Amino acid sequence: MTERTVKQHPLKLFSYTTNYFWLLIFPIIRSLYSISLDVNSLRVWLAGTWMDLLVIAAILIFAWRRWEHVYVKFDDTKISVTKGKIYSTCDIIYYDTISSLSVNQTLFLKLFGACTVTVGTNAGAISRAQDDISLTLRKSDADRLYARVKKSRAKSLRYSVTPNKFSLILYSFISSSTLSGTVVILAFLYETSRMFDREVEAQLIMDTLSDFVNRISVYVSPVVAGVSVVIAVGWLVSFMTNIFNFWDFSLTRCSDSLYIKSGLIERNRHILSLDKINSVDLRQNLISKLLRISSLHCDCAGYGETGRAETSVVMPIATEREINSTVAEIFPSIPSESVYHKPKLDLKPIFQSYWMFYYAPIILALLPLTAFFVLFAIFPSWRSVIRVGVIVAEVPAIWLTIVKTLAIFKTGIAVNGDYVTMRYSKFYTFHTTVVPKDRIVKVVIRQTYLQNLTGNCSAVIYTSSRGTSKHVITGLRLNRTLGFFEKNGVDLYFE
Amino acid sequence: MRKYQPKRAALIVIDVAIVVLAAILTGFTVGYLSNYKIIMTLLLCLFWLAAILFAAILLPAYFSRTVIYISPSEISMKTGIIYVKRHHMRADAMQYVSTVTTFMSKYTGLNFVILRAMGGTMVLPFLGLDDVREVEELMRDSQ
Repeated sequence: MTERTVKQHPLKLFSYTTNYFWLLIFPIIRSLYSISLDVNSLRVWLAGTWMDLLVIAAILIFAWRRWEHVYVKFDDTKISVTKGKIYSTCDIIYYDTISSLSVNQTLFLKLFGACTVTVGTNAGAISRAQDDISLTLRKSDADRLYARVKKSRAKSLRYSVTPNKFSLILYSFISSSTLSGTVVILAFLYETSRMFDREVEAQLIMDTLSDFVNRISVYVSPVVAGVSVVIAVGWLVSFMTNIFNFWDFSLTRCSDSLYIKSGLIERNRHILSLDKINSVDLRQNLISKLLRISSLHCDCAGYGETGRAETSVVMPIATEREINSTVAEIFPSIPSESVYHKPKLDLKPIFQSYWMFYYAPIILALLPLTAFFVLFAIFPSWRSVIRVGVIVAEVPAIWLTIVKTLAIFKTGIAVNGDYVTMRYSKFYTFHTTVVPKDRIVKVVIRQTYLQNLTGNCSAVIYTSSRGTSKHVITGLRLNRTLGFFEKNGVDLYFE
Repeated sequence: MRKYQPKRAALIVIDVAIVVLAAILTGFTVGYLSNYKIIMTLLLCLFWLAAILFAAILLPAYFSRTVIYISPSEISMKTGIIYVKRHHMRADAMQYVSTVTTFMSKYTGLNFVILRAMGGTMVLPFLGLDDVREVEELMRDSQ
């Protein structure tokens, strides 16, 4: 058993600096670049910037001291991370308690031969980010750590699958949304705005957008063109992010672990402990539901939580026919009835409670209408622009109405042996979540005033997770729900 | 199985606090807005209506309708006035228990027990100090 002591990659040093470092260094470099190469100019430059240079030096020294005192040790059984000199902390995690180990290499890190390593455990019930080990290591060190953890696991190969490229493109197409693309763009803009001049950045974006809009506006009005560009760019970014993330996806199952690899430019590797997977979730949106395909996700501490675009995917895409055999191969303990595309539900909504599904669509539809009247009152001359905006803003509400109407017939709870299946919709996504009974930590029966009057309720089921993981099954009758839970060992009668 | 309910002393303390707060706000309003009779009257009505609503209707209803049952294997709670909630938590899912006690809480009943499970928490509100200690022991035994 050889213990290896390594330090983090020097690139980590920059993440220990403050945002002010970047605000200071760029003007200084720019002013240095603009001066002529003689001693007098350099003296004048130094006289003007000596204070800034001192601050930069101080920031770098503090960052270096912080970086210098982080030691990572790992052997065949555990990893330990020691931080600090005066106030020192040491985290030790044994490999058999690890839920997930993720090694990610973004394009930027690839250029410097670095990787981020994240170790997730079931500890830390308050915050998802708590009690994790998150490191930036040299690729060779990350590979050694990955190999050590892999070596500590069983070697018996049970199942291996690599979805074909067409499936991955289809999955990326279906799971892409303007919203997630916009989030990625905003995150990118935020990161760059920390380093560059905001005015320059804003000007660059406006110039690019104006150019696009000018070209398209030959065919449609500038407002429609502008909105279309934002939607199209958002969607395209989301699509490309998904393609890059899931390209070359492969899943290997051994008797105690799952090994997942994916990524075209960014290479991501994950090891998940099978016994620490809290729940399995089949997800579909409206299009994938119509195409009868779904993606398989899981709740495992640390997996799908380390990056903005990362999701907890176990199988990106499978048809309804394939899904049973896929789940049977990956999670053999789950009864096939639990995930079958039309499972027999023990508890489901009845006609009197259907109206509860339309809360969210109604609110979503009313918001743009309210905004229309307010904006029209303030800017009466912008009527046509506001009208276009409202029509575009109503599309999500109509889409949600269709989703919720479909959800009425898909929602419910079923119990199969030691597993509970929960089928529900959350925003635009349909979920079929399968969880072992012993991983259900809390059940809440929730009634609003209207539900109280009509005898309806919503069941909120909390399952084991590092953060809060709740599943809301709405549109249920109170008496049936209480009876169902009592039959399954959860007594919620109080009278 | 043990049954717990919020301590009435806590309700009295909160009611007194509400009345004191309303009185202070009345003092400030009368002091600073006496030249604007209509606004002053509206604000005073608002403060005292809110105070009466909370102190005489909502809080007593909340206290009387909250009931907690604890057994070695499970914790159940029913609470809420307009928004009724029935909670159920398995004792073996519990990771740890936090207690919040305040100054003179033996008499005021301003104590809370926070049950933290992996994936969810449950707050048992306004328990007497003896009840808090008892719940702590029950939880320790069940783990």
